[in-house]
Amino acid sequence: MIFAQLLINSLITGAIYALVASGFSIIYSVCKFVHFAHGAVITVAGYFLYFLYVRLGFNFYFAASLTVLFASLLGASLNLTIYKKLRTKKSSSAILLLASVGLLIFLESFALLLMGADVKTLNFIPVSKGLKILGAVITPLQVVVILASLIVLVLTYVLMKQTKLGKAMRAVADNKDLAEIVGVSAEKIYNWSFLLGSSIAGIAGILVSLEHNLEPTMGTSLMIKGFAAAVIGGMDSVAGSILGAFLLGFLENLGGWFFPSAYKEAIAFAALLTFLLFRPHGILGSKS
Amino acid sequence: MLKVENLSAGYSGIEVIKGVNFCIGSSEIVLILGPNGTGKSTFLKSLFKLADIYSGKIWFFGKDITQFLTHQIIDFGISYVPQGRPVFSQLTVLENLEMGFWLFSDRFNLGKSLERVFQEFPVLEAKKHLPANSLSGGEQQMLAISRALMQHPKLILLDEPSLGLSPKLSKQIFSKLVKLKQQNLSIILVEQNARGAAEIADRICIFVDGQIGLEGDRELLRDPRVKELYLGGL
Repeated sequence: MIFAQLLINSLITGAIYALVASGFSIIYSVCKFVHFAHGAVITVAGYFLYFLYVRLGFNFYFAASLTVLFASLLGASLNLTIYKKLRTKKSSSAILLLASVGLLIFLESFALLLMGADVKTLNFIPVSKGLKILGAVITPLQVVVILASLIVLVLTYVLMKQTKLGKAMRAVADNKDLAEIVGVSAEKIYNWSFLLGSSIAGIAGILVSLEHNLEPTMGTSLMIKGFAAAVIGGMDSVAGSILGAFLLGFLENLGGWFFPSAYKEAIAFAALLTFLLFRPHGILGSKS
Repeated sequence: MLKVENLSAGYSGIEVIKGVNFCIGSSEIVLILGPNGTGKSTFLKSLFKLADIYSGKIWFFGKDITQFLTHQIIDFGISYVPQGRPVFSQLTVLENLEMGFWLFSDRFNLGKSLERVFQEFPVLEAKKHLPANSLSGGEQQMLAISRALMQHPKLILLDEPSLGLSPKLSKQIFSKLVKLKQQNLSIILVEQNARGAAEIADRICIFVDGQIGLEGDRELLRDPRVKELYLGGL
């Protein structure tokens, strides 16, 4: 019974991490740099939804759709206004990483400035009595989080494998120079990867603000987890990063069973360091 | 069909190609030889706008294409197969070919284009759902050439297709090139494997320090000056 509860909790944690990690990993594998500001896109998306739904009183589903669109455009505009400029100056991916950390701090501070530091709640699906499955308790909200996350992950997989755009993204991820040679514009595909990755960040933002509360720094802590998950699974493999996310969710909940909950944050870093030391390319990533 | 006038090109301000005059007709294979570092690959890249062009003109079917970009040049009917094993290694064979088709999906039929390529290289059809990195070196080279064929080109720029292949496989690739030529295709072929490639070439140009030093038919290889070039003196 405790084990069933552990599994369900891991699934909930993993589902959120998987959304964070998959969007991040799509952008990383296509554009070949670490876009930490991905976390800020999640935060800003959460506040955007809060603003539309709570402050302006929009219909929730309409507000949520606008939020996904907004997140997607926000990510793409970061790419066009900041990253693209740096790339045309032939900046290294280390410079892009530094810029992304700067953007993360800037955007989260901006959210703090506009919305204040107090914790916000959406309260769309009020916390209700849990359902019992095999002796484990799960709330309807958590069921929604898991299902939504799984649907998004499956749709992303289909998009990457079956559509022309998905194949082009994988081609650019595989060999950018060769993609240019067959007439695929890498810059255009970079932009598509930001649109797609950031729309997933928007969905993550919605689910996180439903399941937890909104705080200006939530993107940073989610990004740390998402990054750890991506490294564990293999940074350049989207499937690997999803696997890493569920593994990390499981490890955190398993650890919570043995250690005081304050150690929960340490588990992600312990796993990250272990993988960096012993299997730096992750579970499914390529070695080069 | 392709005419190059006094072309100078290179990378970030450094001139590698220094005033090349060159032409190729339809259904012709022109072989480009020369010691390493004489600008053979850069010449192909400059035709495909992957190197910077400093001066000179490139004409294709009477149209000045010097200022156009890579994807426009593909559109005009020039395809490029770079050196090495230039395939998308994680993508399947079929996906590799589809990527070749990227710019052409509204103009040609994918199924028919694939059929044509598979007819030429049946081994690729048998392995079409396997990732490209599971193919042998020769098969990967065939895949790279097939990907170029998916673009329905009139001219293919081919950089060292026999690199790292056994003599038997090189011969196979070369005989395929002859077959493509018979289907009204022109090929500019850069090679280290001078003897094997010379057998299929209609003309040979030898690059010396960014320029065409010697030019002739396949008898050119017997010229004593060629030996001198390769051994370093002129």
